[in-house]
Amino acid sequence: MTDVKKLVEVINLKKYFPIVGGLFQRTKRAVKAVDGISFDIYEGETLGMVGESGCGKSTAGRAILQLHKPTSGQVLYEGRDLTQLSSAELRAQRPDMQMIFQDPYATLNPRHSVRKIVGEPLVINGKMKKGSLELKDKVAELLELVGMDPAYMKRFPHEFSGGQRQRIGIARVLSLNPKFIVCDEPISALDVSIQAQVVNLMQDLQEQLGMAYLFIAHDLSMVKHISHRIVVMYLGKIMEMTDRNTLFDDPLHPYTQSLNSAVPIPNPEIEITRTRFILEGDPPSPANPPSGCVFHTRCPLVTEECITVEPEFREITPGHFVACHLANTKGGSKIFMPDSKKEAS
Amino acid sequence: MAIILQVKDLVTKFYTLDGVVNAVNGVSFELNEGETLAIVGESGSGKSVTMMSLLGLIPMPPGKIESGSASFNSEVGLCDLLQLSPEEMREIRGGQIGFVFQDPISTLNPILTIGEQISETLIRHKGLSKEQAREQTIKLLSQVGIPDPELRYKAYPFQFSGGMRQRVVIAIAIACTPKIIIADEPTTALDVTVQAQIIELFKELRDALGVAVIWITHDLGVVAGIAERVLVMYGGRPVEIAQVADLYKSPKHPYTLGLLGALPSLEAKESKRLVSIKGTPPDLLIPLKHCPFAWRCDYAFDRCWEEIPPLISVGDKHQAACFFDIEEGGPHHD
Repeated sequence: MTDVKKLVEVINLKKYFPIVGGLFQRTKRAVKAVDGISFDIYEGETLGMVGESGCGKSTAGRAILQLHKPTSGQVLYEGRDLTQLSSAELRAQRPDMQMIFQDPYATLNPRHSVRKIVGEPLVINGKMKKGSLELKDKVAELLELVGMDPAYMKRFPHEFSGGQRQRIGIARVLSLNPKFIVCDEPISALDVSIQAQVVNLMQDLQEQLGMAYLFIAHDLSMVKHISHRIVVMYLGKIMEMTDRNTLFDDPLHPYTQSLNSAVPIPNPEIEITRTRFILEGDPPSPANPPSGCVFHTRCPLVTEECITVEPEFREITPGHFVACHLANTKGGSKIFMPDSKKEAS
Repeated sequence: MAIILQVKDLVTKFYTLDGVVNAVNGVSFELNEGETLAIVGESGSGKSVTMMSLLGLIPMPPGKIESGSASFNSEVGLCDLLQLSPEEMREIRGGQIGFVFQDPISTLNPILTIGEQISETLIRHKGLSKEQAREQTIKLLSQVGIPDPELRYKAYPFQFSGGMRQRVVIAIAIACTPKIIIADEPTTALDVTVQAQIIELFKELRDALGVAVIWITHDLGVVAGIAERVLVMYGGRPVEIAQVADLYKSPKHPYTLGLLGALPSLEAKESKRLVSIKGTPPDLLIPLKHCPFAWRCDYAFDRCWEEIPPLISVGDKHQAACFFDIEEGGPHHD
């Protein structure tokens, strides 16, 4: 990723949701769903975002696309700050930035035919006329692109399975030739055999069309499969960010290490012999996050400093960012695991 | 090892307004004492309906158990679970057969305390007094890893997180020292770090109590770490049964092969393209006269479209319902 252009720059993005209460519905506290995250997305790359439920990964995706108005921070898309745009300017920018949602059942209007669903963005953005032959041809082309029979355009969403609906959703997103797509758990609602179909399709499309993905998911192995670089989130903050192989071979943050260790591996020989480090307890509530490092309540390596001082998100080796006081190149933040080979170095 | 549960030719159908849903079409398997059997399949494969049928939890109508038997080696001798009266079933369910479902919040009663819900099982099945039940409940709570059990006895389900609630459900399941625990996707609703905790807990309890476990899941990753044998289901039929190591090393059914290929590998340096299974699962409204997997299968030949393949032995304790020998590259020789 040396000479590749930055497409999206996220700078200290925050999104708080107010908790209101009392007689006058005053704001009492805030849920810090996303609490100061910064990263870049390059052209044509897939940036994976993983974390457990409630870590703010979906909110982050929506805040980047301005579907949630961010509380503070900047999102630069090709150098323009999206948070400062008027709604008209933002609408003009939208065709470039699209979103694929988790639930293919809820995102398609049951009363619209596939032709209308897929063609609608083109009509709304004034690219093609409603009912025109040109539009029909374009819809047929898009359906073919996502591996569906163009004859299906007369049908309605209920006639399709989950995987096919997700394809329709993807065809709709592609109609405007976006350069950047936020994919919010696009395969979680699908069966394993169908997940593979959709992931393969997304990778093929990226190869053909060269768009960038922000791929949000909780399934670590699938994120590793599809991403070039990966961001790990916990309680609204980024814990670690690096390329996919480093994240799995040399994870520095104790949270990433325990996530890796918790992922079941579909191979009985490895599963039986491997020693796992299993985190205790559950993630704390984002309405009342712990002091200092948000992970300190579950971290096995916790020190005095972790409880009081919030760790800085810093670059340990080129391209490898970690928010942990103990992280260094000498393995200071490594949880002892007998099968990790890098212990000695 | 003694067989504790033997299911033979179970057929369950649902008579709905749209037609007859052929949910389970002839499932047979056996479960040995203290063994963990995983039942794997995608949605609509009939894995949950199989277990609900065994537990007498199928709503009738629209559901109907058409045929089959399930002989359970209970404390009082052999009995057929499918022939029991509702009262007899209630004695066994929650007593000698414990169960854990996917969603702990809908399993637990929101207006009773955790302690009351666990005690209830003990009072009902073991005839303990309230005081004895309370003592036993506190022991159970600490056994499933809930801190401050005496304090938590009085807590309500909403005060617990998802993982803790699932621990409570597990405590109820093991309360009467069952011979079998049926766990239907017990970790699917949980986060990955919590999932790892629950799996560890299950393994500990299984080894400590010597209980047999039927673990229903769609996740082949989880299965690898917990099961001894695996039953793969597709379209309401078992398509492969094998010991866990054999299944992953040499799957004999094209569907199993496809499922394993669809999983990304954590170890791989370069991501290979995933093997996807073309098409979609079968429509259970249509009764099939041929292999349910035929139209998604790369190996299907004439015979696959003419008859339903039975389970045949393909190795040591390894059976598959397929006419094609993947390794030989041709049909099985009869």
